Amino acid sequence: MNQAAAPQVLDDLCTTFFYEGSQVRELRILRCQNCGFYIHLPRPICRNCQSFDLKGEVVSGKATLYTYTVATKPFHPFFVDRVPYIVATVALAEQPKLHLISNLVGIDEANVKIGMDLEVDFEVLSDTLTIPVFRAAGSLGTSSTTSSPASSSASAGTSKS
Amino acid sequence: MKNKQHGRRVAIVGVGYSQVARNSGMSERLHAAQAATAALNDAGLKASDIDGVSTWGGDATDFAWQMGFNPLTWHLNVGVSPAFIQPAMHAAMAVATGQAETVMAFRLMMQQPSGAALAAGGAALGVLSVVDTAYQHPYGVYSPTQWAGLMMQRYMYDSDSTEEHFARFAEIQRSYALMHDDALQKAPLSAQDYLNSQYVSKPLRLLDCDYPCDSGSAVIFTTEERARDLKQPAVFVEASAVSAIHDMNFEVMPDMSVTSPKHCADTLWARTDLKPTDVSTAHLYDGFSVITFQWLEALGLCPPGQAGPFIAEGNTMLGGKVPTNTDGGAINVGRRHGANFCIEAVRQLRGQCGDRQVANAEVSVWANAVGPFSGAMVLTK
Repeated sequence: MNQAAAPQVLDDLCTTFFYEGSQVRELRILRCQNCGFYIHLPRPICRNCQSFDLKGEVVSGKATLYTYTVATKPFHPFFVDRVPYIVATVALAEQPKLHLISNLVGIDEANVKIGMDLEVDFEVLSDTLTIPVFRAAGSLGTSSTTSSPASSSASAGTSKS
Repeated sequence: MKNKQHGRRVAIVGVGYSQVARNSGMSERLHAAQAATAALNDAGLKASDIDGVSTWGGDATDFAWQMGFNPLTWHLNVGVSPAFIQPAMHAAMAVATGQAETVMAFRLMMQQPSGAALAAGGAALGVLSVVDTAYQHPYGVYSPTQWAGLMMQRYMYDSDSTEEHFARFAEIQRSYALMHDDALQKAPLSAQDYLNSQYVSKPLRLLDCDYPCDSGSAVIFTTEERARDLKQPAVFVEASAVSAIHDMNFEVMPDMSVTSPKHCADTLWARTDLKPTDVSTAHLYDGFSVITFQWLEALGLCPPGQAGPFIAEGNTMLGGKVPTNTDGGAINVGRRHGANFCIEAVRQLRGQCGDRQVANAEVSVWANAVGPFSGAMVLTK
């Protein structure tokens, strides 16, 4: 079994709200309190109205799949036992082109389709790091027994609510 | 033809490479010195003729000092930018505006850690922002091959290109490499060989990636007046453009199929009376092969969404509509980070390409990068 430590993330104004949220199973996205624009990746200023009044807000967790790739090579020790896994760019429902990097879990690669509806789930990587991941909409708790290498490794460690 | 660039007309008069190799064991300074010497010899210039230096990789003043260049009137280090086009375009601008008379532009690229070294934990790739990697690393996103996989997947969804078209592209690029002494990849490669090869980040295969190596490349820019007296037939900078439409985070770009090259190409063609139909040869970045596909469409060399069928029909081969990447591309000559496209364009316009020479080449376009940012230059005889 791979003993490599999970990746660590910086504690910063542009990251803390996000990972504090996922720790309590909330997907939070930075939002401008002046104009309502969502900003991801987080930045210290709103690129729509140049306001500095920004705050992480809970979003619906509904998304569609913009694109994906099956990572077959690991580039960090933690992922050596996890390949293949699916990296996805998901489009969150709250705003057009609001794209987030994530993993797709609980699904065979053969069933992945660009444009499919997704919903957020959460995966515990370590005691201090839980990350939002995505699965097919409506599949929560129903598809963890699929047997492809991609889905079994990608869903390993996914916490169930 | 009417030149719409501002300032003095600029020519390329010398090009050169270091002893490019996998894990060469040579320092960055040695690669710079070899490339600079090759470019000076090619041009018939002395070290003391150079009064301006730009580089990505290493340091301009460091290279100038070790070479014995003149006191510089202009120098610039660039980085995190669209590959060699950035030092090249700045060099041309320095000559055009009179900041310097004769400028050498460098790209030094030392080989990155291998995937195996990264997986073993003994190496790391450089990162631009630790804030941004907080949204990448927990998902196993570390390598540019992964954004390329995301981009290639979406590009195939949005366009008529298929994996078979990428296979043909690999086969055609290798066929050019077999006619090029500088190529590092010299074994024949068929489309089927490509389809049989391993994925790195599916649908991206290893054979979609440029070939890691240590490389030094140098190109000399000077005035038209000076160029007329030098050893080589002058090649002129007709137009150039760079573009940036997003920050470095390829993985979250709003549109991955029509990206910065489209914006860049529109700017480029507005700066010249030449048109896509005037292009004799094209030299289009192939850090990942999907990039060349996007440039063919962005520059108007084929219709939108049609790069795959266009390539498969043989239009980028010798005798085709637009012979493309005649040096074999960085997939075969190694990662020279865009400089090889400039240098091959110059050699085509001089008529120095031997078996892979395109007859009567008069206009060449070379282009670098994709996604968030890009750049391109049109050269003429």
